[in-house]
Amino acid sequence: MGDYQRLNVGRARGGCCPPMDLMRSEAMQLVRIIIPVESAHLTLSYLGDLGLLQFKDLNADKSPFQRTYANQIKRCGEMARKLRFFKEQMAKAGILHSEMMSSQTHIDFDALEIKLGELEGELIEVNSNNEKLQRSYNELLEYMLVLEKAAEFFYSAQSSAAAQQREIEAHQVGDGSLDTPLISEQEMLTEPSKQVKLGFVSGLVPKEKAVTFERILFRATRGNMFLRQAAVDDPVIDPISGEKVAKNVFVVFYSGERAKTKILKICEAFGANRYPFTDDLGKQMQMIAEVSGKITELKTTTDVGLLHRDKILKNISNLFEQWNTLVKREKSIYHTLNMLSLDVTKKCLVAEAWSPVFASSQIQDALQRAAYDSNSQVGSIFQVLHTKESPPTYFRTNKFTSPFQEIVDSYGTAKYQEANPGVYTIITFPFLFAVMFGDWGHGLCLLFSTLILISREKKLSSQKLGDIMEMMFAGRYMILMMALFSIYTGLIYNEFFSVPFELFGQSAYACRDSSCSDATTEGLIKVRGAYPFGVDPIWHGSRSELSFLNSLKMKMSILLGVAQMNLGIFLSYFNAKFFSNNLNIWYVFIPQLIFLNSLFGYLSLLIIVKWCTGSQADLYHVMIYMFLSPTEDLGENQLLPGQKTIQLVLLLLAFISVPWMLFPKPILLKKQHDERHQGQSYTMLHGNEESLEIEQHHDSHDHEEFEFSEIFVHQLIHTIEFILGSVSNTASYLRLWALSLAHSELSSVFYEKLLLLAWGYNNIFILIIGIIVFIFATVGVLLVMETLSAFLHALRLHWVEFMNKFYEGDGYKFSPFSLALLADEED
Amino acid sequence: MAFFLTTTAIFFAAGLIASVLVLLFFNRGASTNLLHLTLVITTTVCCWMMWAIVYLAQLKPLIVPVLSEGE
Repeated sequence: MGDYQRLNVGRARGGCCPPMDLMRSEAMQLVRIIIPVESAHLTLSYLGDLGLLQFKDLNADKSPFQRTYANQIKRCGEMARKLRFFKEQMAKAGILHSEMMSSQTHIDFDALEIKLGELEGELIEVNSNNEKLQRSYNELLEYMLVLEKAAEFFYSAQSSAAAQQREIEAHQVGDGSLDTPLISEQEMLTEPSKQVKLGFVSGLVPKEKAVTFERILFRATRGNMFLRQAAVDDPVIDPISGEKVAKNVFVVFYSGERAKTKILKICEAFGANRYPFTDDLGKQMQMIAEVSGKITELKTTTDVGLLHRDKILKNISNLFEQWNTLVKREKSIYHTLNMLSLDVTKKCLVAEAWSPVFASSQIQDALQRAAYDSNSQVGSIFQVLHTKESPPTYFRTNKFTSPFQEIVDSYGTAKYQEANPGVYTIITFPFLFAVMFGDWGHGLCLLFSTLILISREKKLSSQKLGDIMEMMFAGRYMILMMALFSIYTGLIYNEFFSVPFELFGQSAYACRDSSCSDATTEGLIKVRGAYPFGVDPIWHGSRSELSFLNSLKMKMSILLGVAQMNLGIFLSYFNAKFFSNNLNIWYVFIPQLIFLNSLFGYLSLLIIVKWCTGSQADLYHVMIYMFLSPTEDLGENQLLPGQKTIQLVLLLLAFISVPWMLFPKPILLKKQHDERHQGQSYTMLHGNEESLEIEQHHDSHDHEEFEFSEIFVHQLIHTIEFILGSVSNTASYLRLWALSLAHSELSSVFYEKLLLLAWGYNNIFILIIGIIVFIFATVGVLLVMETLSAFLHALRLHWVEFMNKFYEGDGYKFSPFSLALLADEED
Repeated sequence: MAFFLTTTAIFFAAGLIASVLVLLFFNRGASTNLLHLTLVITTTVCCWMMWAIVYLAQLKPLIVPVLSEGE
């Protein structure tokens, strides 16, 4: 780990060229900043605006409550809670807070705290008042309903009773007095007061409980009651819960005090609101008038209350964004301040942070400004620390390179300053995508859609987009590259929505004779030089198309794959050179290069030779028998002079490179380690500068236990992985062939089976339907699903086949304390 | 073969011109220029490989197009 200091030296030493942007992550340094307490807040806010420092938590052992600024954080949390409350209230009232920042006036943190408290108190009071008013308003509404409905009951009951009375009277007249029950009549006559004792309760009960309510009442009073119910047409707002509920108006008649208490209890249990009612008609009218008067009165009062609340909320909404950002800023500043350790004198705070080397002057400038602005008597002290820790990885990307870097990062963050595959990914990723997505018609569609995104870049970047849209927008330049390469490969494949064009001259093939009779049996013959650019259009639709294209695309996949894997191995060389690790060059890079190229490099060579000579040799046979019987004569499969010797040499090289990869590195590492140990015990005696350096260098390794077996097993795994990998990875590149084949077949199916078929009917209506279905199929299947699958396969080829040749990806990302990033965070 | 070499030279020239144009119009300091050059060179190599593979494959064909019955 002590290598990191040497790295920066090595970087300064330079080489042939300047360091390449993006190839290596930014040089980082650990800095210590000592800030006087009085200017700490302002300093941190300036540094946060700069956003180039990643503070280390120096109080990791302390709990959140023990930290210096715990109190301020609590205050911020409280304010954030109030702001959330306002937000909720605004959402309830349907007031949108303006996204735009209103006039940027400076507000004091303490003043804001007081103001927020006041506003909250006011709002809560207004709300509770409103709630009370609303509740009594709802109660009155229910009462009104009861009055209306119950009056109906009584009216209908009275009229039916009167009718009954008349009937009874008529009956009595006609029937004589022989069977008249004397006693009851007597009772009726003598004690009319007992009848009047019938009491009643009226009110509202929720509709779904009405049936059980009735049953319970019936049981409780043993049937000595009479219930009348009527459904209310519209759902009523329940005064207690404030929700809309369908309700029934009921009137229960009972006799006796005990029954009354029982009924009241049941009413309570069922949440039935009772309202007083009288059977006196005059009183009823009076009550109705009274209640409706009260209702209108309450209505105006609540309206005024709501208006008042809306006014308060509107005022809040204007300033809400500003307050919210301020609170978020303060909270993150105090949070960062809590990571700083307090000096023993309690007069200054000590911060340790990672920062890019290039930012030193900016940081010092910010520190000076902060000291000046806060009228501090002492400035902050800035010093660079030397450390053995591995620094964070920081790439400065722009809108063009960031999606590609994102692809690499989602596999693993690069180790500090290791070669970044992101550089080549910018080109090879869209290229491999396009190999699978080769159709210049589809490429043009992609190009147009991404150009729309790019042209409206300014507008779109300021507004919130959906998840998928956001992803497309972030990758707009990647899609642009993908589209451009698709157009190129589409021209090479000679496909435009699967239709070939003779853009680059005439086809190389023609009929054998003028009658062209055997064109469908024997085939055409080549009459001029090969088609100059891309695939000859004559192949399209011919019977031998697939066998030709399969052979071409399969071989192309292998050639491209071997090229990309070689690039990956060469990057491992650059890594080894950068970290001046000679072991990796001699015992990893070189044998790997030899192994891959003696097998698959040789295969690529054979492919090219076969194409150039037009030989009939069977490459499978050559490759397989190179292993099975290397000494046997090749016979008709001979492609090169002395091929047998070449193959023997290559095979030997491949076999040698396996132990070459496996054994020397761990053995030499052990030797180096032993030497260092001896160096420590003896060289101190000489006491010259060189030995001191060794001594220092040694310190960093002192506590590292050297486990030979562990390192050997590690190397063994690496070797096996590489050897098996070089076979399986080469095979894995065949996905380029499979996907491009699938793409071209699908698009030709859509073209022939939809567009041409519909055209054949000679019917404008069918043609239109055919075109519409064709467009939907093209967009849905080819432009969306095929793009996704080609994207994923290109992703895999980079992550696995390309990056495992050199990429360690065990670093951690630089995440600076930045106030600018706060706004994007969702709370 | 002559055609192959000529076109290869054209690709090379196109890459060279693109490099010069990038250096002239997107001059953002030595480090960034090196990145741009790397990108241009990679692009040129990729495009050239693609073309060369397809061209060479058609140079001495082992199978010839056999037209379908319908045409």
